[in-house]
Amino acid sequence: MKRGGYLLALVLAIATVGLVVVGTVWPNQSAAANPDAGARLASGSSSPQDAVNTLLQQIGRRDWSAAYSGLANKNDFSEAEFASDLTGNYGSLRTYALLDGFDVHPLRASTDEAQFRANLRWASVVGTFDDPRDLRVVRKGDHWQVAWPLMKEARVPPQVIPVNYLRWDVINRGPQDDWGTQDVEAPHVRIVAMHPVDRGGGVVILGELLNEDVVPAFVTVKAALLGANGATLATEDSFDKISHLLLPKQVSPFRIDFRNVRLSQVDSVHIQPSSSLVSASADPVIGIESQKLNPVPDASLTGELLNQSGQVVNVAHVIGTFYDGNGQIVWVADSYPSRALLPQTPVPFAIALPADVSSKVASYHVMTTSYRSGHAQ
Amino acid sequence: MKMKPPITNWLRATCPILLAGLLLGADRPTVEVTIADTTGSRSVEKHTQASVVRDYLAAWHAMGQAMEQNQPELLDAFFVGVAKDKLAETVRAQQNLGIQSAYQEQSHHLQIVFYSPEGLSIQLLDDVEYDLVIGKHGKTLGTQHVRTRYVAVLTPTESKWKVRIFQGGS
Amino acid sequence: MKRWATALCGLLSLLAPYGLAQPSAWRFPPTVQAGTAFSVQTSGSGPATLYVVGTGDALQRSVQLGQSIAFSSEDLRNAGHYVALLVAGTETQSAQFDVVASTQPAGLSFIAKPSRLPVNQVNGLSGVVYVLDAFRNLLVQPQRVTFELSDPSGGTQSRVATTRNGVAWVKMNSATKAGSSQFRASSGDIRVQRAVLNVPGEPCTVKMNSHGAGQRIVLETDPLRDCNGNAVPDGTIVTFTEVYGGQQTTVDVPLKRGVARTELLARSRAVISVASGVVMGNEIRVTGGQ
Repeated sequence: MKRGGYLLALVLAIATVGLVVVGTVWPNQSAAANPDAGARLASGSSSPQDAVNTLLQQIGRRDWSAAYSGLANKNDFSEAEFASDLTGNYGSLRTYALLDGFDVHPLRASTDEAQFRANLRWASVVGTFDDPRDLRVVRKGDHWQVAWPLMKEARVPPQVIPVNYLRWDVINRGPQDDWGTQDVEAPHVRIVAMHPVDRGGGVVILGELLNEDVVPAFVTVKAALLGANGATLATEDSFDKISHLLLPKQVSPFRIDFRNVRLSQVDSVHIQPSSSLVSASADPVIGIESQKLNPVPDASLTGELLNQSGQVVNVAHVIGTFYDGNGQIVWVADSYPSRALLPQTPVPFAIALPADVSSKVASYHVMTTSYRSGHAQ
Repeated sequence: MKMKPPITNWLRATCPILLAGLLLGADRPTVEVTIADTTGSRSVEKHTQASVVRDYLAAWHAMGQAMEQNQPELLDAFFVGVAKDKLAETVRAQQNLGIQSAYQEQSHHLQIVFYSPEGLSIQLLDDVEYDLVIGKHGKTLGTQHVRTRYVAVLTPTESKWKVRIFQGGS
Repeated sequence: MKRWATALCGLLSLLAPYGLAQPSAWRFPPTVQAGTAFSVQTSGSGPATLYVVGTGDALQRSVQLGQSIAFSSEDLRNAGHYVALLVAGTETQSAQFDVVASTQPAGLSFIAKPSRLPVNQVNGLSGVVYVLDAFRNLLVQPQRVTFELSDPSGGTQSRVATTRNGVAWVKMNSATKAGSSQFRASSGDIRVQRAVLNVPGEPCTVKMNSHGAGQRIVLETDPLRDCNGNAVPDGTIVTFTEVYGGQQTTVDVPLKRGVARTELLARSRAVISVASGVVMGNEIRVTGGQ
């Protein structure tokens, strides 16, 4: 037993030394896409590509000081403005995101100047989002520097925005079990559309849910796929492809994805919406402006969110329902703009559409759910 | 009082224990389910019927365990409200007296007689047969074969139907 | 196997007292009302112990054979089937009896659902009553239960139902006028009341008006009412949609003080529509604008 232990230790030691040697002699050449792999390249900006890679790696390490000091246009803005351009403000999604990777593509180059398109991929709690930037790189003596395209966050002018607040508070019965004694009634919700489709080797349930009550509802939708013998093939819920908070007479789409089940196996679908009363506010109102379908190759629905209230919305969730010419739902998709919604300030959004779905879309409906620190709406 | 011969005493004392032993290896109680004509305005769906019957029988099993082991907490999973309060009181009374009772179910004939329009209660009549073995401090006092009717009202909770009214001799 | 063993044990149990012990009589009443005093006469002599066990209670008492065993009104309150054993030394006598609920209703479990429903719903409201006695036993004997529903306009619907196995139920219509109704159930002297809120139904129509404000167009609905004339409650979402040149703008606006109001950019040849839930409203075509 003891001898076996020594043998194992010896094997591990030899393997470790071997791997260190291999790593030193043949280092990872694809390090440019990894923001943590920048130490080796940090000193080199002898080419425009090196300058871009160095900068993006410094951003990945959140080394704002080093990144800022190497910029060609640092006199145009402060280091704090540079950092907040990348990390966002007001508790937005960007505030909690980390750089997951980047791609850099050259656009054009001359002896003194080059242009690149960099796509920064940020990882957040709701998935990754892209942050494309066109970077100009200029020669300064014997080395190259990047001119950072700062996106200055809009400043809201001082003003007073009058709002008539409307809010629902709920007092429940309490934990005691006095059967028959009334409790507040759960909101009445109804599935108004449901359509299963076969997609990507799985089944996708698309539908819409209406809050037909006069109070706000916290909603979820569960679905079970039943086979020909009545046996349950799979159960899933709508998770984040739904607006969980529905105000009176508001409709939310929902999408439930089942992987590894084929539509041909499914005999029936059992859908179970559930709702409960929640305290909620009718504000803020968010307008969804300039909604536009974009064709392939970048099939998407784009638009701008305009926060009509006087409060900052930290994170917004945009959900789109897409219909064909017969009014049947063909897709439900969503996105989260990475920046906070400041009062009266438009923020762009884009919802990506699968190319095959895009050609079928005749109309669409977009809704938003907003989250403020300590609130959801 | 006149004394009985030892063999009779031995038989009387051990018979229920033997019976209990035999029953341990015996089949589960036979169960018959019918739906009466008047089940309220709401029809009982197949899966509702199945889950109500399953949970009711499980409640009987839990009640039997609680009474035999004198552990009122075993009732929590299947009883609620008045039914739980009363059964728990009985278990505590048994505990104080050092009594145990074993309910050895033989058959249930269940009728679903009412399903409330809003789906929040369902009523069963259960013509049940069981042997009740009563013991004290581990010694069997007697066994009785019981045939009676229970009326039970079950109400839905998050995960299962729980018995809210549980009343024998109806 | 189970039945055979039961029969064998039953036979032995029967043989034991009859063949080998002095028979002694005790008459237990087959039915006892919950919470009432009663007594049971025993015969023989000497000390014995009485055990009464059921799902509703467990009792133990030392008794003297030959005397009657008195049960007070405090002793057996829970309805159920009980087994009684009288153990004297090695001799055991047994009996079975039922404790039944008392005849007087003392409590009603009244489930009124839903507690909030749209106006004018035929049979939209249900009331279910379980009748209980003073000891929370279910009264399985038929009882008359009266259901009354008063609506916000002062009218009252009334129905009488008789319990079956302890339960009675009715269905009632919701009021035509929005507001709170009182839903009462009574049996004997016992009366229980629930509040039911009649809420407005879907908006009957949705009509918006517009006026210009610079480059923007101000949109405001008329006060929304359902088809019975009840004001649709504040917070109800109204959706404004502006379609222009292959693009669109939408805003979900909650009703406040009965109306929904928003501002949109006035775009040339835009068509603006309004809807609430599944009810579509009118359209406005913008003639000027950007």
